[in-house]
Amino acid sequence: MTDKQTPSPPLLSVFILSASALAYEVLLIRLFSIIHWHHFAFMVISIALLGYGASGSFITVFRRRLLAHYDSVFISNIVLFGLSSISCFIVVQQLPFNTLEILWDSSQWQRLLLSYLLLTLPFFFVANALALTIMRFHQHIPQVYGFDLIGAGIGAVLVMVLLQISSPDTVLRVLAICGIAASLFALSNLSIRHRQITVVTIVLSMFAVVVLPQQWLDLRLSEYKGLAQTLLIKDTALLLRHSSPVSQTDVVQSPLVPFRHAPGMSLQSPSGPPEQLAVFRDGDEMTAIDHVSDISSLEYHDYMSSALPYHVHSGPQNALILASSTGAQILQARLHEIPWIDAVEPDKQLSLLITDVFADYYDWPSLKDRVRIHTISPRGFAAAENKYDLVIMGPSGGSAGGSAGVHALSSSYDYTVEALQSYLKLLAPEGLLSITLWTSTPARGNLKLFATAVSAMKKAGLNHPENNIAWIRSWNTATLLLKNTSLTPEEINKVREFSLSRSFDLAWLPGIQPHEANRFQLLQEPVFYLAAQSILEDPDNSFSGQYKYDIQASTDNIPYFNNYFRWSSLKELLSLPAQAGISMIGVGYPTLLVTLAQASVAAFVLILLPLLFVQSDKNNAVTKASGRRRNIIIYYLAIGLAFLFIELAFIQKFTLILSQPLYAIAVALCAFLIFSGLGSLYAERRLRTETESIIPVLLRRAVSLIGLITVIYIAVLPLISGTIMALPEIARIISAFILAAPLAFVMGMPFPLGLATLQQTSPHLIPWAWGINGCASVLSAILAVLLAIEIGFNGVMLCAVVLYLIAWLSHRAYENQ
Amino acid sequence: MPIKHIKTRVIALLVFLSSGLVMADDYARQRQQMLSEIEDGVLTTSKYIDKKSFDMQVMQAMNTVPRHEFVPELMRFKAYENQPLPIGYGQTISQPYIVALMTDLLQPQPGQRVLEIGTGSGYQAAVLSQLVAQVYSIEIIEELGKATTQLLARLDYDNIETRFADGYDGWSEHAPFDSIIVTAAISHIPPPLVQQLKKGGRMVIPVGTGFQTQYLTLVEKDMSGTITTRQILPVSFVPFTGGH
Repeated sequence: MTDKQTPSPPLLSVFILSASALAYEVLLIRLFSIIHWHHFAFMVISIALLGYGASGSFITVFRRRLLAHYDSVFISNIVLFGLSSISCFIVVQQLPFNTLEILWDSSQWQRLLLSYLLLTLPFFFVANALALTIMRFHQHIPQVYGFDLIGAGIGAVLVMVLLQISSPDTVLRVLAICGIAASLFALSNLSIRHRQITVVTIVLSMFAVVVLPQQWLDLRLSEYKGLAQTLLIKDTALLLRHSSPVSQTDVVQSPLVPFRHAPGMSLQSPSGPPEQLAVFRDGDEMTAIDHVSDISSLEYHDYMSSALPYHVHSGPQNALILASSTGAQILQARLHEIPWIDAVEPDKQLSLLITDVFADYYDWPSLKDRVRIHTISPRGFAAAENKYDLVIMGPSGGSAGGSAGVHALSSSYDYTVEALQSYLKLLAPEGLLSITLWTSTPARGNLKLFATAVSAMKKAGLNHPENNIAWIRSWNTATLLLKNTSLTPEEINKVREFSLSRSFDLAWLPGIQPHEANRFQLLQEPVFYLAAQSILEDPDNSFSGQYKYDIQASTDNIPYFNNYFRWSSLKELLSLPAQAGISMIGVGYPTLLVTLAQASVAAFVLILLPLLFVQSDKNNAVTKASGRRRNIIIYYLAIGLAFLFIELAFIQKFTLILSQPLYAIAVALCAFLIFSGLGSLYAERRLRTETESIIPVLLRRAVSLIGLITVIYIAVLPLISGTIMALPEIARIISAFILAAPLAFVMGMPFPLGLATLQQTSPHLIPWAWGINGCASVLSAILAVLLAIEIGFNGVMLCAVVLYLIAWLSHRAYENQ
Repeated sequence: MPIKHIKTRVIALLVFLSSGLVMADDYARQRQQMLSEIEDGVLTTSKYIDKKSFDMQVMQAMNTVPRHEFVPELMRFKAYENQPLPIGYGQTISQPYIVALMTDLLQPQPGQRVLEIGTGSGYQAAVLSQLVAQVYSIEIIEELGKATTQLLARLDYDNIETRFADGYDGWSEHAPFDSIIVTAAISHIPPPLVQQLKKGGRMVIPVGTGFQTQYLTLVEKDMSGTITTRQILPVSFVPFTGGH
């Protein structure tokens, strides 16, 4: 095959394929979050992405044969991607895998392994097509890589749009068709011998996906999810299902067995909740919509620990409800006749349930003149300068007991020191900030919240927070009350009266007596009180230091509020039967460690395995230069790790700035991939117009700029975040794009420049390098979270700079060898 | 050769005929093994449950009830392992140690009446039935409730009365109860159940997923009617500072 026959690479095909592949990757996370749980989705997808690494090994070994038939191999791999993307998911869904049973039943591991293998296939085919194209059109490496990145960037946005308008199973079908269709666009670039047969095959493949029976694609929820169990109850009916890129929302009615969702309701309550509709997110984490017939049906809201601020404040005129969800806290405020209520809920679908779809059920008409719901995150809203008598944050969906540890890896900017500072700023004089969380045993989240609150108050210049805090707990919720000034004796009395009348225990109150801390909800030790005492009064805070969980204050830099894992407890954890230890530590962090271990082993094998075949090639000069191979490994590992480190750090920074995690992911992925693609195309232009000696110069400049820009961002971003957060939405999105552009542009150069170098010396190792980079990307996503938990996202970005420096040094060493 | 062939067939037939007996013996042996694992579990967690052994009667009941009858056919080989097992409908049969712990926490006495919310496999009710006069059990999933009722009848547990209903309201016709066990996920302690609990009675609520009981909440109503709750860890994870 010669360049004469194929004058240009199939760039449009590469573009569509990359877009489909990235969209498929994001879609899988969504699909598995619905079927199982999102920590499982994270694990499976991470491993499946090693298909890129496997492809590198495969092509390294079979490169000659594959390149000899490039045209048909390229087309075949694209079609196979499309077909396997949908068929592998269907098969995986049929496997009787139960993520909850994995610690008890060894056969679950076999099913998990089979899931990995099946889901690896689509990524393997994509990587084959892309890597072979890079090898085949080696004189256009940056160009092909650029279209790959830009396509992926568009794919990141495309999938969000598709998920907004269609259900995930439909999107799966669409992406499979898009994937297969990518092959059609390659036909004009390639010399296919049996063109008509090829076209017919492609069209038939697309047709097969179109006519696939819908029931094969229907999502089969784990039978252990709340929604699946609820639907087993007689006469329950699914009233509404709405899918978005963030979650699937299901509304269920159960006329025979009423839902009675009332977190931590006091046993002294004279009545229970009224008729309710259950709302599930991704088939779990139930919240409820109350059927409001008259005000008396809301009376039970007064018997929850979260009602405390309404009893302490002397006459609130307005209230701000943060994360209002399906409106329980709004009803609590209504019950207490608050004249004006602002509510904040980032998921518009949840708000629409109470203001539109079930408006009459919820009695929205009688609320709409005094309640306004804002679709923004609590942090985003808190950047404004309004003042409220009460700022309320209620418990989120799902009890801590049911989901303990599952959210450990989810970052949350709603409960950081900076967040609490911004909420405190919203308080009018004598205003109260109230935060209610589910409790867990042993206590974790609530203690961390207390430490975070104290830290926020001290940073706000309140030197004696012990006088400004009240803290009470029911059997499964705890409410923290904060004030910018000392609680008055009258307010302190009101806290005592409220708690006593509802059989709630005090956890902290100015002048609290130890016997008040453990009267109704008995703990072996009054840990809430002991923790509060230590955090407030012990300069060494010895309690937190010795506690088995990490209950240090959460910050914007380390926003893992739900992670309590401590390495110092690991030994004790491992000494326990696995099941017992895991149930106490939560599944999130161990999942991350297991995923890292699996990915490391797989990456190690995939990186080293091809070397055996390279070594067997006696004619290859590179086989004698093990130092060169070492430098190739270091270079591609380093830039693979570093790219994702920075990209993930930016997703976190953008989550704060854009107020919506969904926007943050879409904007960061899109901006980074597109601008990196442009950076790659820029490198291509320079390489075309100048001599090969430009490669080290461009690389040095790129690495220097990456270091410089990163350091500037670390210093400047916290200073300008507040200003950007207060801007209108579109301005925030544009700002995020502008912020990402320069860094992403220069980050797009090292990979194609490295490949261009390799092309000059050892072109047969290009797929191997591609595979190493793929493996590194998988490891990077896991390592970034582990690192961020320990050293924060600024630390992760600095690590990336160091890695780029290492890459540059290894490139220099490679050239000198 | 023919004689040897016949001998083999006879042996095979004898093995087949005696398999029921062998299985029964095997289950008894497995139950003994299960009891010793429970005993080990009690020792490991003694710090949190405030005792070094469960009540003898409770252990005797655990030794009497054929747990393998309460698990699906395909799972029977694991019936006596100290682990929860799926029973369909998104439900599980709890880990034997947890069943024993919950039973022990209820402090069952002959002559008592116990209410169970969430019949599930029926195993917990069967264990309780060995210790008290009458067990009333409510299941919310109709199909599961029917299957379990039939099973309990087949196994002659005639002091267990079941019904398909909403457990939130308890079973007022038979109230008050000496103890109540709630195995359903709940966001608050149902007031009707507290009302149907006798003074001096105890209620146990496990919290967590079907496969991982994270803690048990013990609700106690003293003789004056005052309610307290107590959280009990079923596992040996030291939750507090080193000194505790």
